[in-house]
Formats: sequence, C-alpha cells, structure tokens
Amino acid sequence: MDYKLILEDISKVYGDGDTSIKVLDRVSLKVEAGELVAVVGPSGSGKSTFLSIAGALLSPTKGRIVIADKEINKLSEKKLNRVRMESIGFVFQSANLIPYLTVKEQLLLIPKLAGKHTKDDEEKADDLLKRLGLYHRADHYPESLSGGEKQRVAIARAWMNDPEIILADEPTASLDSERGRSVVHMLADEVKLRSKAAIMVTHDKRMLDLCDRVVYIEDGKLTEISNQE
Amino acid sequence: MFLALREMKHAKLRYLLIGLIMVLISWLVLFVTGLANGLSSDNASSIQNMNADYLILQKDSDNQVNRSEITKDLAKEAGKYTDASDTEKLGLQMSTVLKGETSKKLDVTFFAVDQEGFLAPKITEGKAIDNNDKNGIVANASLKNEGLRLGDKIKDQISGKVFTIKGFTEGQSFSHTPVVFVNLEEWGNIQSSVGQEETTVNAIALKATDKTAAKIEKEMKDVNVLTVDESLKGIPGYSQEQSSLLMMIVFLFIISAIVLAVFFYVITLQKINQFGVLKAIGAKTSYLSINIVSQVTFLTILSLIVSVSITYGLSFILPAGMPFVLTPSVVLICSGLFLVVSLGGAALSLYRVAKVDAIDAIGRAV
Repeated sequence: MDYKLILEDISKVYGDGDTSIKVLDRVSLKVEAGELVAVVGPSGSGKSTFLSIAGALLSPTKGRIVIADKEINKLSEKKLNRVRMESIGFVFQSANLIPYLTVKEQLLLIPKLAGKHTKDDEEKADDLLKRLGLYHRADHYPESLSGGEKQRVAIARAWMNDPEIILADEPTASLDSERGRSVVHMLADEVKLRSKAAIMVTHDKRMLDLCDRVVYIEDGKLTEISNQE
Repeated sequence: MFLALREMKHAKLRYLLIGLIMVLISWLVLFVTGLANGLSSDNASSIQNMNADYLILQKDSDNQVNRSEITKDLAKEAGKYTDASDTEKLGLQMSTVLKGETSKKLDVTFFAVDQEGFLAPKITEGKAIDNNDKNGIVANASLKNEGLRLGDKIKDQISGKVFTIKGFTEGQSFSHTPVVFVNLEEWGNIQSSVGQEETTVNAIALKATDKTAAKIEKEMKDVNVLTVDESLKGIPGYSQEQSSLLMMIVFLFIISAIVLAVFFYVITLQKINQFGVLKAIGAKTSYLSINIVSQVTFLTILSLIVSVSITYGLSFILPAGMPFVLTPSVVLICSGLFLVVSLGGAALSLYRVAKVDAIDAIGRAV
C-alpha cells in the first residue's frame, strides 16, 4: 500500500511526574494516497495536538511518524522545518492569509520562502488559481475577498509546494454550510486528482460525507468510525 | 525584502508616521549637533584653530587662560627647554570698544602675538601688521557684520587707545567675541596705560612633543602645561555650554531608540499570529528577522536622507550670525549612530519573533 502518512503508537505527555497530562495515548493512523480523512471530537480532546504532531510542528513523546516514506520523529528542529516546507501543506482555521500580499503573491511566497523562486512557479500559481476559480482575483488583497474565497486561496497556497499531505485545521469554521461544502469538496477533488493525502480536523458534521474516512478522538484515544451511511 | 517592501507599501500611513517621527528626531539631532559645533567654534575658534600643541599657563590660574599671568622671566625660562622659536607669547584681554566716532559698543578680545611668529593671524583681506605698528590691528571678519571695514577705527574703552583696522582674518573668536590682533608692543602700551608697570602675557603657546611638554611641566615650578583641547575648558562658559548641548543630543538618541523600539515591538506583537503562520509554512526565524531589520534600515535611511536635506536646506536660510557648523563627516557619524540606535531598538522585536512558535498557528481563530 502507498501510505502518505503513517502514525504509529503516538503518545504526547505534557508536564512530568504527578502533574503530567496525557493528551494523546497510543494513537495510530495510516493515510493512503488519494484519501481525505476527517478527525472529529469534542474540544480539548487532543485534535489540535494530533494535527500539530502530524504536521511536524510538535514532536511526540513516544511513537513513530513517517511522512512520504521518511521517518521524521527523530529529526532536528531545523530538518523538521524543511520537511514542513517540502512535504506538508497547511490550511488554517481562518485562512490566515498575509494581509499585505495579493492573492498571487500569497502563492508565490511559498517558493520564495524555500529560496527557489523560478518562472515555473508563476505558471504553477496561475494554474492553481484557475483551477480553484480564483484567477480573476489574482491581484486582489485578502481584505476584498469573501470568506470562502480566502479559504480557497489558503488551499491553493497549501498546494504550492507540491506537498505529500495537506493538513487542514477546521477550514470551514468561518464559512456557512454551502460555502464550507464547496471548499471541502474542492479539497477532496484535489487530493484525488493528485493522489496525495489530506487530514482535516473539523467540528462540522455536515462535511463528513465528503470525506473518505472519519476518525474520532476523545480523551487522547483515537477510534475509527466505520464508514458512514 | 519581498515581504518587507510589500508590507510597507500596504500600510503606508503607519510607516509614514513613524518615518515622520524619525525625520523630526534625526533632524533635531543634526540641528543641535550643528549648533553645538557652531557655538563651540564661535566660543573658542581662536584657541581651537591655534597653530600650537600646548599652552603654558600660570599655576594658580585654575587653568583659565584669561586669569593666567606669565611674567617675562617665566617666558624666558620656558624658552630654555625647547627651541625658542617653538614658544610664543600670547596676551589676551577681553574688552569693550567703541565703533569709530560713534557711541556704539562692541565686545572684542584683544590677542597680542608676535606678528612674525607662528601665532600670527592669516590675512584674508587687507594687510598684515608688523611688530612695530603703532595702532594697526587685524580683526576677525565677523566684525564686518557690525559695519566695520578696512581703515575703520575702534576705540578701546579701558585704555582709551584708538586702533585702525588694517586687515581681516577668519575663524578667530574667543568666548563668543571676535578677536582683534595687536602686536606685543601695542600690548605693552595698553598695559602701561592702565598703570601696569611690568608687561605680562597670559600664556605661552608651545609647539612640542609630549616629552618636552612633560619635562617643562616638571622643571618649571609655577606653571601648568595644558594641551590646547584641555585649555578650551578654561574658557568661560565653554564646557557648560557644550555639556548641556551634548546632554540634549544623547537624550535625543535615547528617545529615538525607545520610540522605535516601542513602535516596532507593538507592530510585531500585532503580527505574532501571522509570524506563526509564516513559520508553519516554512519561514525561518532568520528570514523574518532579516525582514524586520531591512524595514528598519530602509525607514531609517530614508528618514535620514530627508532630515539631512532639511538640515542643509535650513542652514542656507539661517541668519549669517547664527553659529551653525555641520561638516559632512559629523553628518555621517550622526547618521551612522542613528542607524545603530534604530537597529538596537528593533532588537526587542527580533527577540519576540525568535520566540514565536509555528504551533501557535494551529487551533486558533483570529
């Protein structure tokens, strides 16, 4: 099987001794190419920690992480930064676009940060914007975009570095249901088209039918919900 | 620079305001510096420009050249320790003179020097006087602002003597008054006309190495040997004037450092979440730091260009009598210092940016 992301027996403990809090308890998850996995659960259940660990932002206390056939749980801070830059795309809760960059510049920032900005990147950005229906907005600033458009720009930005896996943190939280669905739809389509993988943390039950699998986290334990309907 | 310039373009008003503050502060720094230099030269240019290394003053004179009294014997003794042509007598007397036949009073300082020695003034207009001249003087050019021309007469109020201006020189003032040069013979006459029997001078100017100066100080009992710079402090009001201006300049630098630090820190705090996102998508701390540093540098250099232009523009329309001297090297030093201070102010923000964790971007709505 071609797994884009493998998490094995991940535990995360904050603090030590008597006051330690176990946020994640031996969590395992495998995500295949072309899969969109939804992570649901009540607040405080460890969803964000889970996403941070999968996104190489946080190191687990125990366990093994493999992203694109590369074990990353033993890497240094600096190398993790590199993994994020090359293999992971992030979509945050409220788009989090840079207010003083135009839509196209938001996308071009990614190769610039990696220090290898070329002509191809311009084309790539144009292609992405066309496909996500944002091309006519390329020279607009985030302040003049609607919530749905912002979130689509954020998704386009996440694809800019050709990541193996996209991590989305409640991407629909600030959208109404219709716009939310179209954003998730787009995410799912892109994942399939490119045969990459995506994990989406969400509160929004209405989005779950668009996902291939749903996992449930509560009290740091992860359980698979057998496919709905 | 990709982010830095775009951000400044986007938030024009914000950066324009801080730029304006920096222009005003750096302009004030340059202006006060120019004023300090101008006042210092207006106060003491005759000593600063003196073609000598040391001044020998009387021991009990509190190192104040106008209080010092050097007798002929002392002067002769000083000549023994070094080549006699390397010592030069200097008499000075602050006085009030009447302009020509009018009753208009002017403050001047008489400098009595050997007109053929190394203290002789450089003539910029008219003729030099010789050592036998009975009533000729060479005056500082600033007296022209008072309407005095070559051939005009002034009358010393203390001695009642009348002098004729034979030549003008430049850059010669003492304690904010223009200097008037007479020869030593005239000097003797002035002193005897006020009832002083033996002619004395105030100081002996000395061209010598450190070693010779130290030797003279050791061998001669009744004198202090001061460098020319040290003797500046003995000019009435000189060090008080300079130190209060220096204090203003130092405070301006401190104020600008704090203003900039606060401004950039507040902007940085406002953008913490944004920095978190940037770090999450792969920006390194060094990239973000360079970003802030280049913004500060850009803003400072731009502000300095504006304020230096304003300062020079203003110095053209300042009245001629206003003491204001600003050389390019002083402008460069001030600007460099200002840049360093601004970057120092940005250090706090850099520290904050370094502490931002990419993880802050997750699980947080803005």
